[in-house]
Formats: sequence, structure tokens, C-alpha cells
Amino acid sequence: MIWDLWKQGFSAWEQATAQYMEKVLTNPGVLGPAGSLLTFAMRTKAATDRAVTAWWSTVGLPTRRDQERSLHKLNQLESRLYDLEERLARLPPR
Amino acid sequence: MGQKDEQDGPGGGGTRPGPLASLLALLRRAPRGLPPVGQTPHEVAWTENKWRLLRFAPRERHHRTPVLLVPSLINRWYVLDLGPGRSFIEWLVAQGHEVLCIDWGTPGGEDRYLTWDDIGGRYLGRAVRIAARETGQTHLLGYCLGGTITAAYAAAFPEGIATLTALAAPVDFEHAGMMSAWTRTPTFDVRALIEAFGNVPWPLMQASFQMLKPTLGAAKLIALLDRAWDDEFLDGFLATERWGNDNVAFPGACYERYIEELYRGNRLIAGTFTVCGRPARLPELRCPLLAIAFAEDHIVPLPSARPLVELAGSRDKQLLVERGGHVGAVVSRKAAGRLWPALHTFWSQRD
Repeated sequence: MIWDLWKQGFSAWEQATAQYMEKVLTNPGVLGPAGSLLTFAMRTKAATDRAVTAWWSTVGLPTRRDQERSLHKLNQLESRLYDLEERLARLPPR
Repeated sequence: MGQKDEQDGPGGGGTRPGPLASLLALLRRAPRGLPPVGQTPHEVAWTENKWRLLRFAPRERHHRTPVLLVPSLINRWYVLDLGPGRSFIEWLVAQGHEVLCIDWGTPGGEDRYLTWDDIGGRYLGRAVRIAARETGQTHLLGYCLGGTITAAYAAAFPEGIATLTALAAPVDFEHAGMMSAWTRTPTFDVRALIEAFGNVPWPLMQASFQMLKPTLGAAKLIALLDRAWDDEFLDGFLATERWGNDNVAFPGACYERYIEELYRGNRLIAGTFTVCGRPARLPELRCPLLAIAFAEDHIVPLPSARPLVELAGSRDKQLLVERGGHVGAVVSRKAAGRLWPALHTFWSQRD
């Protein structure tokens, strides 16, 4: 009984808070600065990564990005081969 | 001690177990760990890069046209196969459908270069052709972002698609709720995010979903204290939580186009979206169409899902609005009584 009453109170609080939070989280006054902060953090990380990568590549070793590009190309080649196999399978027999 | 009757306690005398019984049930349950998921027997029909096509064959096939399920990129496929007794796939197979489901897998660092065309054109196209190999066509169902991907694909490449079902699929991104506001914030630089991380990290995706309803965590805790004494509720709750916390990174190049062209440009509605170079115009959708939206869905609100039916050129089209939220309405016990039979009927009548 007490638990049920408490639950009703919680439910009322939860709905009111959710509505309030939605207003806050869609307010341009909140989103603008939050977006700027996120963008600043991302640009800082990217710049740091570029600096580390540039130093790494001066010693002649492949960077992580080089490896990712190569792997991606291999995956693309595999897909193209599958495409060709499909087309061949659709050709009428000679 | 667990009871399936939601009203009465163990004595059947009308006293409902309370939080203490729930805590005891949780303590007893803890050593068993999380419930198993994705248990319906299947084989892997195809693998390519990280994605797989899973085939679930019925013991006795009652329907000619197979069903291809396309989940979201950023959540695991097993939401559609949460466990014995609460699995949409298990239920469909029991009705005699041959079911195929895409498992998008976990992107590696190199998949930051995967584009929308790679995923929503090449990979999905391959899955459609494999599913339709035997009969020439397949029913296609996309859930959430999977629905957006399948709607765009079907509009551009209608070949081999018997019917299209969009399940809680956002199409109009101007009315996609809080996500629209966030992604349209001018200070949010998508390119900077991709440059920094490559793939958008899953903790960032998960945090943004949690921010859609920050009080949801507390509400779930109260629900758990209220009903964990019910073994069936607890199993379902834990399975859903396992899935909800098993998110996946979003391939970077695909994410960039998703935000710039869909969330910001709303190009599906504008009619200027393309898939692998082909226009994906919704009025050119001709296959039978079923769009399903949920009244309490705070992730894909009704105004975001509804325009698919309004714009599609199909003569046979309908919008079904059900009670419930984005996930609960698809995986709950109630879904087995209403939603799943509605889908089965839609497909059976257009076999």
C-alpha cells in the first residue's frame, strides 16, 4: 500500500521531470554551447592524432590510418568479386 | 516464488509481492547471469566484411515468400530473437515462414570508410538477392534505422521486393523529436566527430539515446523493484537490458551522410536522396507497404514515421499505430498477441 502510493508519487515526478528535461535539452541556449564544446574536443583530438601520426610516419612506419585504408580497400575488392560472381551466375549458359 | 499472475502474490490472496520480494528474487537470480539471446536455430547463409545473413528455416514451410529482417546498424540483431517465448523470429518460424535476418556485426577501424551506399545499397542488395534466390522475391522488414535503409533501398531498387514493412522507421527527420534538434545544432560539426573517432563510438550513441529520456534509468529501477519477483518479467527485462547495453559503433562515412542528408537535409522527404546513384523517391515505391509506428515511441515519434505511407506510390499501403514504446511494443508479451500476428497476416495475404 505504502509502496503503491510511493510509486504513484514517483511516476508523477518522473513525468514532470522528463518533460522539463526535454525542454532543457532542446533549448538552443543549451545545445549551442554543448555543440561547441563537443566540436572543440573533437577538433583537439583530431589535431593531436594528426601530430602523433605525422611523427610516426617520419620513421617510415605505416600509420593506423594507412592500415585502415588498406583493409578497407581489401574489403571493397572482396565485395566487387562477389558482385562479379553474381553477374556471372546470372549469365545464360553457353 | 515467481508468479506469472501480475495481480496476486504466492498465496493467491490478492497481496502483491513488493520490493523486498523483488530484491530476494534478484539475489537468487544473480548467480545465473544474463539470459541467453539469439537462441533460435539458424545457419549463416552469407558473410561479407563484418555482416552476416542468418537463415532460420521452419520445420514445415507454409509460406512461399521468405521474410528478410533488417535491424538497425547500431543495435544488435537479436532484439528480434530475444529468447525462447519472446522471440519474433522464433514465432515467425513456428508459423512456417522462412526467415532471414541481417547481423550487421561490429565495425572495425577500417569501416570508418563504409558509406551509406556500401551498407544500404551493396550489402542490403546482396541480402535481398540471396533471400529472393529461390522464389524471385522476398518480404522486406526494416526496424528503426533498418527501416529507413530499407525504405530508401526499396524506392531505388524495387526488384525482388514482394512487400515492404517499415517498423518504427524514421523517414521525416524534421519531426524526429529531440534527435532533430540535436543534429541540427549549427555548432555540432559532424566532420570533426568523424575525423576524431572514425566510427562514431558506441558509448556516444548510447549516451544520446539515454539523454532522450534521462529519467528512464530511474523508472526502470522502480519497475524492477516493483516486479522482479515475477520470473517471466525479470527474464524479459534482463534480456532487453542486455540488448539495450550492447550497442555498436556507427561507420563514420555512413554516419556523416545520415546526419547531413537525412537529419539536416531531410532528403528522403525532399525526394533528392539516392542509393548507389539511383534516385530513392518515396512516390516511386510501388510494392505493398505496411508502416508501423508506436504511440509512446520517444525515439521515432509518429510524425517521423507516418509520411512514408502518405508519400509512397503503392496502391496497397497502410499505417498501423500501436500502443507502446520503440522496443517494448516489438518484444513484449503483448506483441505476440497483436503486432506479430498482424505482420504474419500482412505477409500471408501477399504471399
